[in-house]
Amino acid sequence: MKVLVADDSRVMRQLVIRTLRQAGYGGLEVLHAADGREAVDVTLREQPHLVLSDWDLPLLSGIDALGVLRGAGVTVPFGFVTAETSREVRDRAAAAGAQFVIAKPFGVEDFQEALAGLLPARR
Amino acid sequence: MSVHLPHPKQVRDLFAQLLSREVRLGPGSAVTPGERTPASVALYVDDDGRPRAALAWDLHLSVRAAAALGVVPLRHAEVSIKGGSLTESLRENLHEVADVAARLFNDGGATHVRLDALHAAGWALPDEARAAALTLGRREDLAMEIGGYGPGRLSVVLL
Repeated sequence: MKVLVADDSRVMRQLVIRTLRQAGYGGLEVLHAADGREAVDVTLREQPHLVLSDWDLPLLSGIDALGVLRGAGVTVPFGFVTAETSREVRDRAAAAGAQFVIAKPFGVEDFQEALAGLLPARR
Repeated sequence: MSVHLPHPKQVRDLFAQLLSREVRLGPGSAVTPGERTPASVALYVDDDGRPRAALAWDLHLSVRAAAALGVVPLRHAEVSIKGGSLTESLRENLHEVADVAARLFNDGGATHVRLDALHAAGWALPDEARAAALTLGRREDLAMEIGGYGPGRLSVVLL
């Protein structure tokens, strides 16, 4: 199962991956993107089962990357992992087709709750 | 709308969850960036780009928080403390800490702020950043201890 983690911070990508594994999602093939354009390119090429993206990304923001993908007919489950957690951000994320917004800092239970029903947990 | 000073409990809870470590907090002395007292300063601006808040970490807490985020062994991080500046890798980690710490100011319908810049300890510190850290008035000066990494000082300043 492929998961794309899009964040310009290498350490944050590592934290997301570690927390995913702690949440029971082991054995994943993890793809990385450091900016929004790379996130779109990797998604179109690799067709991951899930995209986890920061809100603010270089070159193309996370919300704009989601817009590009949805506009291209890509229906991959997409969630934001971000420190931006205002009502406006959540509403924009939902309107653009995101399934969830996980707030930084996050815990294992945040991923378990968000991903229940989207990805089967593997232990 | 205005920016609120976070309650110390909010500060402790955010750092504890972000770093996945026990964090203890108590009253401390002000972080005062200077040539012999390197410190990291994060500046936060509102949606109009106006400076509204700052966080300042002394060198010890800058290194320890950055190391804790990346699960860098303490003995490796201590080299930065002795050297008086953060490595590039620790600077990146601290940037992420500062970015997430914007949440301290954004809860409860307050004016939205975001991280504008992080000036890491031991690197060039613009006068504006130094002045922000030294601003009198609405501020909290805290002593923080990160479990497994050790203590340092954090100042939370409204501008």
